[in-house]
Amino acid sequence: MTWEYISELILSILYTQTGVPNLDVKQVMMLLIALLFIYLAVGKKFEPLLLLPIGFGIFLVNFPLVPLMGYTEQGAPELIRAFYKYGVEWEIIPCVIFLGLGAMTDFGPLIANPKTLIIGGGAQLGVFITYIGVLFFGFTLKEAASVGIIGGADGPTTIYLTAKLAPHLLGANALAAYSYMAMVPLIQPPIMKLLTTKKQRLIKMRQLRQVSAREKLFFPLIASALIILLVPAVAPLMGMFMFGNFMRESLVVKRLSDTAQNALMNIVTIFLGLSVGATMQAEAFLSWKPLLIFGFGLLDFIVCTAGGILTVHIMNRFLKEKINPLIGSAGVSAVPMSARVSHNMGIKEDPNNWLLMHAMGPNLAGVIGSAAAAGMFIAMFQ
Amino acid sequence: MHPKDRRPKKIVAVVWLLFSIGFLTGTASIAMGAFGDDLEKPNPEFSTQGDRVVAKLIPRGKSTSTSIDFIVTGGRLTGVEGVDLDEATHGAADPKDFRSALFAVKIDGVSPGGEVEVSLSSRYFTGATELWAFNRREEPHLTNSQAQNLDRPERVQALVLAVKDGGPFDSDDAADGKILLIAGPRDSFWGYALGTLFIRFFGIFIVLGLLQAGMLLTGAIFQRLQKQTGRPKPAPGRTPASKKAKETPVAIEAEAAAAIGVALQLHLTEVRASAAMSLDRSDGSSWARQGRSQIMRDRLLTHDRAGRK
Repeated sequence: MTWEYISELILSILYTQTGVPNLDVKQVMMLLIALLFIYLAVGKKFEPLLLLPIGFGIFLVNFPLVPLMGYTEQGAPELIRAFYKYGVEWEIIPCVIFLGLGAMTDFGPLIANPKTLIIGGGAQLGVFITYIGVLFFGFTLKEAASVGIIGGADGPTTIYLTAKLAPHLLGANALAAYSYMAMVPLIQPPIMKLLTTKKQRLIKMRQLRQVSAREKLFFPLIASALIILLVPAVAPLMGMFMFGNFMRESLVVKRLSDTAQNALMNIVTIFLGLSVGATMQAEAFLSWKPLLIFGFGLLDFIVCTAGGILTVHIMNRFLKEKINPLIGSAGVSAVPMSARVSHNMGIKEDPNNWLLMHAMGPNLAGVIGSAAAAGMFIAMFQ
Repeated sequence: MHPKDRRPKKIVAVVWLLFSIGFLTGTASIAMGAFGDDLEKPNPEFSTQGDRVVAKLIPRGKSTSTSIDFIVTGGRLTGVEGVDLDEATHGAADPKDFRSALFAVKIDGVSPGGEVEVSLSSRYFTGATELWAFNRREEPHLTNSQAQNLDRPERVQALVLAVKDGGPFDSDDAADGKILLIAGPRDSFWGYALGTLFIRFFGIFIVLGLLQAGMLLTGAIFQRLQKQTGRPKPAPGRTPASKKAKETPVAIEAEAAAAIGVALQLHLTEVRASAAMSLDRSDGSSWARQGRSQIMRDRLLTHDRAGRK
């Protein structure tokens, strides 16, 4: 054994079995991006439940030679690739998250004031404007649809649609959606002020009627039947959502409902976050498209907010009992943050104007509206 | 201004900067033409079924496969091949308009100088689909062949074109009893994108409108039933707040307790808040507001997805 042989062996080990010599500038950039999102999640508490695992997923997969997102020689998926393949690619995790969301949701404010459903529709305006906008920038129809849905402000819907139509944009779309959802309190108030007068912001709404337990129990059955009949493509999302809600409202399967709301939801959130983050490897992510997606994502949120408010203005032309247009902005889902923004804006104008529960109506309608928009897009490509 | 007040403005400024960069790079990308890999290139697979050739492919802007049937009358169809649009036209045509790219249809057994009828039929064609023919020796190379667009049973559209041996659509350019037709169906990309978008946006209103109608109807039925059977029974022990109230006494300030009491009284005696507010401004006092805040906070717990433990 000579020194030459030993040094050659060391070099060979260094190059083939350690990451240090294989680390490139792009990967370092991605590691910095990962740290930024981890900071936003931990330091700023921006959507930490999702941004933390996403950030850590980005962090893990951007080290060289890591056996996480590839396939073994035998063709078996490596660790995070397995989470991604069976969870996201097979469209299971977003639907399970919808099950949990359904189990968490109290549709009372929406059932008490069904008019607010239309606001949830109007707040999808940005989805379609963005869809057209990105087409001008060379995106394909499927990519445009997946970017457009960001404005629906519903993370699982965005992930579900993107995984189905443009999986290569999954990381960028999910990050844009969750980042802007966290920034709702910053993005929405200036638009709300711009599109309403002081007099309109002072409109007081009648207290919502009490909704009985039986009415709440029937809602998921009626809603899922109607929506799935009209847009069958949305059945996986809406079916799970309403099933979760039915478990909650039935009051006979509390254990299942609790599991869907808590344990199951937490488990799939971990796998979803890691998988989505892991799709953002340097060679796939560092291009102009993610930047454009972030740009259009913001535009999307702005137009969706404006769409909700303008829908209220239009509705007020025909209604005897006026709706406070501040609740229009809650039509983007982002539950319950955008409803809270509407409430806080109302309180600022008049400390006795309590808009929170009124804003929950369009807020929940936004969830249904964005899922319906996703279903429309899926049907379009069938 | 306090430095903390400036922070949101800074974040908005950063976001706007990102947007501006995105906008500029997007503009630049248009100027540069192509944008990334072509992920939607159709890769047709051909099979022969009797005297027809069937192409199975996923057209651009679709997730599911579709088939196109090629039939020739007046000659013998010897084969069909896929032709890459960019390679044929050197980027002169927009691939988005040609969702299934081009096909080379090979025909023989034609009397020299004679004419055959080529038919392409598929369910994914619409009444507005055109058949464009490509011939390198003609100017322009790619033209609308003015093929007939015919309705067939079961929502199938057929594009039928008469092709003359040695004529402008015959790419072998010789009246030799053989015809090479290079052609592809064309749909206006923007027409499709905008048309379907318009329909789908209003589709959402139709879905939500019908749901609203259904809810109004069932709501009216339930309210009538409740009136007949007495006051509605609130769902038992659903919110974490009510659960807590049952299990452990909560330490609460006297003013807040009074505010909650008044709010509950107003609610249970069906004196609506809006009516109460118009009576006087007394409920604008800090203790009443605190009470309402407390109630709202408890109700919001139900909806707070992120804040759950």
